[in-house]
Amino acid sequence: MPEPVILSVGASPVGESELTGRDLFSVALAEAFADLPDPAEIVDALYVGNQSESYEHQIMYGTLLAEWAGLRHTPAERVEGCAAAGALALRHAVRDVRSGECDVVLACGVEKMTAGGTAGATDALSAAFDRALEQRSGITAPSQYALLAKRYCHETGASEEDLARVAVKNHANATKNPRAQYQSEIDAETVLDSSYVARPLKLFDCAPVSDGAAVVVVASAEAAETLVDSEETVRASGVGAGSNNLAVAERDLTFVEGAHRAATQAYEEAGIEASEIDIAEVHDAFTVCEPLLAEAVGFAPRGTGVQCALDPGDRSDGWSDVQVSSSGGLKARGHPIGATGLYQAVEAYEQLTGRAGDRQVEDAERALLVNEGGVADAVTVAHVLEVA
Amino acid sequence: MAGRGDGSPKRVRPEELTAESPLTLPGFFAALSDGRLLGGRCDECEQAFVPPRPACYACGSREIAVEEQPREGTIVADTEVARPAPAFAADAPLTIAVIELDSGARLTGRVAADYEAVEIGTPVELTVRELTDREKEFALDHEGEWPLHVFEPA
Repeated sequence: MPEPVILSVGASPVGESELTGRDLFSVALAEAFADLPDPAEIVDALYVGNQSESYEHQIMYGTLLAEWAGLRHTPAERVEGCAAAGALALRHAVRDVRSGECDVVLACGVEKMTAGGTAGATDALSAAFDRALEQRSGITAPSQYALLAKRYCHETGASEEDLARVAVKNHANATKNPRAQYQSEIDAETVLDSSYVARPLKLFDCAPVSDGAAVVVVASAEAAETLVDSEETVRASGVGAGSNNLAVAERDLTFVEGAHRAATQAYEEAGIEASEIDIAEVHDAFTVCEPLLAEAVGFAPRGTGVQCALDPGDRSDGWSDVQVSSSGGLKARGHPIGATGLYQAVEAYEQLTGRAGDRQVEDAERALLVNEGGVADAVTVAHVLEVA
Repeated sequence: MAGRGDGSPKRVRPEELTAESPLTLPGFFAALSDGRLLGGRCDECEQAFVPPRPACYACGSREIAVEEQPREGTIVADTEVARPAPAFAADAPLTIAVIELDSGARLTGRVAADYEAVEIGTPVELTVRELTDREKEFALDHEGEWPLHVFEPA
């Protein structure tokens, strides 16, 4: 079976942009292909993660981006799974290479969320909830996660301040990420003094509305050898995916089972244990997600996930030494929905190839990416990436 | 017949899945309009769920009995939505909760009470009402006559 590797990445800055989705993609593609032949010479297929056509009134993003990359006639398709669309696109690329059908595949993600303002984003994101009972009750994305946060704090004794510290940590990490939407430090009071969006979650517990696009070039190790030096590649050694009920009420509110299953599958494929992961990019769309995911993917004993905000040496027994969301996470790097899973891969690629600049994690050799869509684990994709 | 299943008579047949069947949303909401909240109960593992659907989410069985649900339940988790979707902005803030009915089925719904007046464990009772004129504006054509489930502290 051909071994898939990532050989190059590119991403636009995250934030409110004057550029449209296709333009943001062009920025990401130009960076990813700065030292490569034209896509038309090497790319066999393209996948693009994109949450909603309501922002730009545009579907057919696969065809459009193929055209903008000079890939007319190349098989191309949009992948939809709300905020997990980006990692689903990456998973397709990895599997196409593994199957031997393709040598080089582009995994892309694009979102132009600011086009409809906050109200437009609220409405577009609500389409990810079950229409029959959830949407008709008036629920929003922050309030879905607030239900998880309320129950998590109730069962574990975690406080609103514990959750605030997750945002503080991710903002501090983002100060060292030149692509991040918020490159400013905050303190816990900033979070705690911000207004409630959905109790117990406040404005600073929430990832922002963002524009952005990212491109990840996946190839067989054999094809990559002809294009870049081996130290510029990162092995995609494990991938896992799974879904859970769409309605939040019908799931375990304090254990994201879908993420547990996806990560377990990715670890098994890579032949590693959770404790061997050095860095992780997890899906902190809201602060409560990070502790929930830390527990589900095996970094932390149940009920201790909020220690993700602490330095590894300060955590209690049973916690791994993983560094979580060196990019600043969704909270501070930003969360352009369909592109987020690929921004996670961009961060891991830069860390594992020693290109992460001021935020470089020393001796980082293995990364876990966890990308979720449709409120927590309605759909989850996990990837393990390793130094070549 | 294709397939190698056992052809169990308890499985739903295609011709049964009409708009009158509680295994479809029109059928479910028609019953709700009459004040009856219907759920499914798995013949294999006894999992209860609302609305009824042709397969059990817990074990995958397609042998599902439809049962009227109890109107009583308790709050499992709750929140106050300060900024709801545009259709509900006039009603803000909304109290919304995950409710576990006494059958074990869980569903999300509005709670007709201030956030401070309820908490995890508060007993609630189901009520059913028609959509308001504003809610109807945001409803899709096929949803306009579907009623809304709202819980009240018991």
